[in-house]
Amino acid sequence: MLTGSWGSIAPAIGSAFLASTVEIVEAFTIILAVATLRGWKPAGIGTLAALSVLALIVVALGPLLDLVPLHGLQLVIGILLLLFGLGWLRKAMLRAAGVMALHDEAAIFERERREIGEEAARKMVSADWIAGLAAFKAVLLEGLEVVFIVIAVGAGRGLLLPAAIGALAACVAVLLVGVMIHKPLARVPENTLKFVVGVMLSSFGVFWTGEGLGVPWPGADLSLLGLVAIFLITGLATASLIKTTRMKTT
Amino acid sequence: MSILLDVTKELFGMFVADLRLAVGVLCLVALVALVVDYIGIAPLAGGAILLIGSLVIVIEATIRSARDS
Repeated sequence: MLTGSWGSIAPAIGSAFLASTVEIVEAFTIILAVATLRGWKPAGIGTLAALSVLALIVVALGPLLDLVPLHGLQLVIGILLLLFGLGWLRKAMLRAAGVMALHDEAAIFERERREIGEEAARKMVSADWIAGLAAFKAVLLEGLEVVFIVIAVGAGRGLLLPAAIGALAACVAVLLVGVMIHKPLARVPENTLKFVVGVMLSSFGVFWTGEGLGVPWPGADLSLLGLVAIFLITGLATASLIKTTRMKTT
Repeated sequence: MSILLDVTKELFGMFVADLRLAVGVLCLVALVALVVDYIGIAPLAGGAILLIGSLVIVIEATIRSARDS
């Protein structure tokens, strides 16, 4: 049952969906590289093993969230979101300004395939084992980020369910599209998504940190939309300024 | 061991991709807590400091990275 205003539910679902899409696309690229190189068996076993570990982590740590006082939880999550979101926004601005190379799923796919073959030869172990391990690590690492994002955007105000729905929808969407085209999802506008997600996570970070410190945001949850607008305008303006300055100096 | 190390590195990298940015955020939150709780300024003004400080920190970190690249 979804409770709360759409002013807080919609950003929670939206942020979890977009951020999870980015992470799941990255994991899917590696799973697909493993599957095309060594078949779906090692890719599937590695993926299932990682999902089991993630489920164990959620089941073990989830109930602990209820034990933390709400203001303390909002403050800790807010600070973590600020660190995570501002870091993501910085990279997104650098990519938008042309300073940092854009994320290229097709190149990552090829690199992963090459590395699996090289590592199997170097360690003289079964290529299936290395391939399964690569899928396991990819799903575990990207999955941990998804779990953090769901907790971060959802736990501060009882929005875990909407955030989890957003993440699940992203998972289903990426898998459906991936199964249909059976190629790395190079056409997903990943860099644009990362910009939007950086803006949203930074906005949540300021909001939750403020709530944790007792800041009465004007308009309550609706002030999130104002924060998103401020971070978006600042991000676009900074990226544009850096791009213009670099063009003048070259 | 390698997987545990990779997970730890990934988790650390999630939050501390740029050390100066991370330290800046922690100092900013400590400053806002200090001025709201101990100096007694209006909490909403504390919120404004938090927002403006976050914007300044991310702009500085981005321009610095662009300059250094």
